[in-house]
Amino acid sequence: MSYTVVSNLDQAVEALAKSAGKARVVAGATDLFLGNLPSELVDISTVPDLLGINRDPDCLSVGAGVTHAGAAASPVIRLKAEALAEACREVGSPQVRNISTLGGNVVNAAPAADAAVALVALGAKAVLLDLSGGHREVAVEDLYANYNLSVVDSSSEILLRFLLAPAVRGEGSAFLRFAPREALSLPLVNAAARVRLKGNTIEAIRAVIAPVSPAPTRLNETEKLLLGSKPGQDTWRRVEYTAAAEVDVRGSMLRCSAEYRHHLVGVLARRVIRKALERALDSKEGGDGR
Amino acid sequence: MPVIKKAESVLRKGRSGSAVNQGPDVWAKATGKAVYGTDLHFPGMLYGKVLRSPHPHARIKGIDTAGAYAVPGVRSVLTAGDIRNKSYGIVVEDEQPLAHNRVRYIGDEVAAVVAVDEDSASKALEAIKVEYEPLPAVFDPAEALLDEAVQIHDSCPGNIAWERDMERGEPERAFAGADLVVENSFSIPSVHPTYLEPIACVAVSDYMDNLTIHTALQSPDVVREIIAGALDLPLSKVRIIGPVMGGGFGGRVYGNLKLYLLSSLLSMHTGSPVKMRLTREEEFTVGRPMIAARMKVRMALRRDGTFLARESDIITDNGAYSAQAPWVSKTLSERNDSVYRIPNIKTRARLAYTNKVPTAQYRAYGNQAANFAYESLIDQAAEKLGLDPLQLRLKNCTHSGDVTVHGLDIKSCALSECLQKAAEKVGWNNRKEGCGYGISAGIHASGSLVANKDFRGASARAVLELDGRVTIYTGEQEYGQGAYGAFVQIAARTLGLEPQLLTIYCRDSLVTPHSQGALANRQTTIGGRAIQLAAEDLKILIEEAASEMTGEPVKMKGGSLAAASGKLIRFEEVARYHHHRTSGLTLTGEGRYVPPHTDYDETSYGNISVTYSFAAHAAEVEVDRETGALTVHRIVAIHDSGHIINPPGARGQIYGGVTQGLGFGCYEGYVFDRGKVANSSLADYRIPTALDVPRIDCHFIETDDPEGPFGAKGLGEVVQVPVPGAIANAVADAIGVRVTNLPITAEKIYRAMFKGECAE
Repeated sequence: MSYTVVSNLDQAVEALAKSAGKARVVAGATDLFLGNLPSELVDISTVPDLLGINRDPDCLSVGAGVTHAGAAASPVIRLKAEALAEACREVGSPQVRNISTLGGNVVNAAPAADAAVALVALGAKAVLLDLSGGHREVAVEDLYANYNLSVVDSSSEILLRFLLAPAVRGEGSAFLRFAPREALSLPLVNAAARVRLKGNTIEAIRAVIAPVSPAPTRLNETEKLLLGSKPGQDTWRRVEYTAAAEVDVRGSMLRCSAEYRHHLVGVLARRVIRKALERALDSKEGGDGR
Repeated sequence: MPVIKKAESVLRKGRSGSAVNQGPDVWAKATGKAVYGTDLHFPGMLYGKVLRSPHPHARIKGIDTAGAYAVPGVRSVLTAGDIRNKSYGIVVEDEQPLAHNRVRYIGDEVAAVVAVDEDSASKALEAIKVEYEPLPAVFDPAEALLDEAVQIHDSCPGNIAWERDMERGEPERAFAGADLVVENSFSIPSVHPTYLEPIACVAVSDYMDNLTIHTALQSPDVVREIIAGALDLPLSKVRIIGPVMGGGFGGRVYGNLKLYLLSSLLSMHTGSPVKMRLTREEEFTVGRPMIAARMKVRMALRRDGTFLARESDIITDNGAYSAQAPWVSKTLSERNDSVYRIPNIKTRARLAYTNKVPTAQYRAYGNQAANFAYESLIDQAAEKLGLDPLQLRLKNCTHSGDVTVHGLDIKSCALSECLQKAAEKVGWNNRKEGCGYGISAGIHASGSLVANKDFRGASARAVLELDGRVTIYTGEQEYGQGAYGAFVQIAARTLGLEPQLLTIYCRDSLVTPHSQGALANRQTTIGGRAIQLAAEDLKILIEEAASEMTGEPVKMKGGSLAAASGKLIRFEEVARYHHHRTSGLTLTGEGRYVPPHTDYDETSYGNISVTYSFAAHAAEVEVDRETGALTVHRIVAIHDSGHIINPPGARGQIYGGVTQGLGFGCYEGYVFDRGKVANSSLADYRIPTALDVPRIDCHFIETDDPEGPFGAKGLGEVVQVPVPGAIANAVADAIGVRVTNLPITAEKIYRAMFKGECAE
């Protein structure tokens, strides 16, 4: 087995090109030993281009090599993409969070990956680099080919960064998960939402739930129900019902029954949307320039 | 490394700078220097692996091992036909080193391979061809007891590994005359002790036909006899040497006998040391979890709350082979009857064979499983009678001087004080809005009779070395519980010496005194008492030798030897004086502790243990009313373990035991899919993480026990006993319905709240 640590993107592209499809990109490697080991690995975890967190007025760029611990602690992410910071705080354990990366979390394509759920709710796009130097941008939810299978071919493509719109005034996001224990546990359900208000009316909303299909799943019907509305007390039962009804869930003898997971989808969808909404309201009142 | 040095000094001295005794190997463990079974390496060592049955029940029609021999590096392959394959067992002789003609669970040992490395051995396993004829299998213990059930062992008709019908007093009459009868059914799954270090061993068969097994065990002397018997070797030719033990929790009392036997056989066949170790998955699928239990229980009470009688119908799930499951079933079916004054008892207990992973024992020996059921039922009765669950317990609990319904002679007992203190500390009468509160009481024998009614105590030697230091030889076992720390303290206190002058020599069956091992809460109580007696004996011998040497009376006091004239004598001088006078012997104090009055009759009535420890735990919990998510905020653990020898060590026992009790109550449990263990990894078999552990408040009510050393009683097992029951009662208090099958998960609470499932 060969293991190549590269220090810049040119070297990474060169190493992948040379291996002609045999090598795979690796960063945190926290899930590497769970499956069959590839014969060649190209470690990109120290490539400086992948480690930045940069904020323009219209765009927040988060490097694919940023660790979960790094994202959770980033003041910019906590302020401008709160759901992502919350999700990153919940991944695995401190040891895992210190080395696992956002890019790896998405390309690994686990259906319940916490950071991926937040990224989809925030409307993040992934920027990919191919071996000929070409770039493409793909919405994070479109990166999933199947369960645990990404459309990103890590023998010939490198995920560089995620781009998302930073939170503005009147906007809030949140992430919640429900798991059998407090750490090192896959969630039975995780959920994230981003809400933007105009006055008291919901002007934009993205609500996402997992694991109900290969990719983090938008709650389209629930979003429709809320878009353009002014949520009141009577709204929330309907949100819960709509969210639970619009997804198909599976039960498993080691996690929980399908019936219980359905129930959790409704409760978590309602809670996470409410939390995002409350934050949106707070940001209006706070007047801190968000 | 200044940081490490500083940490070392803190660890050794304790924060306040006072001497804290954590035991001799704490620092080695903390720095990774300790040598565990998996670290062992010997020149020329080979590696063994086991081919296991993929079927829960099947006939073996043929085994072809030719392919395995063709794998490079393979030295030997054994099947049942290649060895004597003698039957052995701890209670029932139902096992053989390798399956002969028939396999009885998924994981049953079919062949063993030894090779130059583990990879080659694994490759060889794949090259062995076995032809099986699948047989019908039975997985449910109640179904296994039906007449039409498939028979798993020809020698145990009806699939009964052990059974018991017990009656004390006149239960039928008591039930007939009761004001209230409450009843319910409970189920508790199999749980694994989940010690950190998977079991590993190296067997070394030498050219003189000596067999030495290097492995960490809680009861090596007992295992040594089983191995000698199963391999037809003279006992004196078998030696067990223990590396550091990476946790045991009862699971390493007899460890994995199959592994020791197979590595020994492979070493005897090849003449080379053979290392074998279980993977974590094998720990779950072929290790020895504790029996699962189903309990149907009834209780009779007077209107004023007086307990009149209890009746239990218990089925425990043995799995394919029996190990200690009969003893565990026995403790499970009777120990809780002595927590309260219950004059009439009727119990039927049956241990059923099934085609699943064989079972054994775990910390608290099933006592915690039954405690969950009985303590839940007591709360049900309190609710029906409109009585406070605390007052109901106080009204009926056992006291000092009682002889319980099974004949346990209670010489010291602060259970009533434990209950009151637990209630006071948890805020029983000052409850937080939105929280649920529950309480549970438990007993555990400390120093009980185990395998051998005639071997009840312990022995130890204390030797004055030529350099003036003292070595304690003990056959008792340290596995993280702090036994050796307590032993050093007991000996140091008896001799009046600084603990640094004492060394423990242990874990070598050729040298150390024979012991029943680390089980039955006996280390400090029984083993510690023997050490106290050995130290007392040594003290007398030292004084005698010193007096003889100086020609005037000498007393040993405050760490020094002083003659009547005031002259101080060095310990080395006395040691050398004796050594030369006897041409090489050392001053050796012997301690033998034979506890008085422990015995039982054919109905198991009698005082089965030296003494008894008590505990009351109270839980404060909160339930998410929408999802059923349970948060255990606090466990208050109040213990009567007599005089506490090593307070930090004792508190450590409580923190660990309560955490395991929380796992038992809310997280753990085997899940089977047609006989296959479905959760055979630590990702799927969930134990609590540090974040799941609640605040644990512990407190000791120190009674002065007449038997234990300096009045000490055991603590290691009773710590787990009341936890699941206290949490179950707190959950019921919070949501108004009861979850009756463990573990109490969020989904079960949700179902109890909204679907009326698992509810009373």
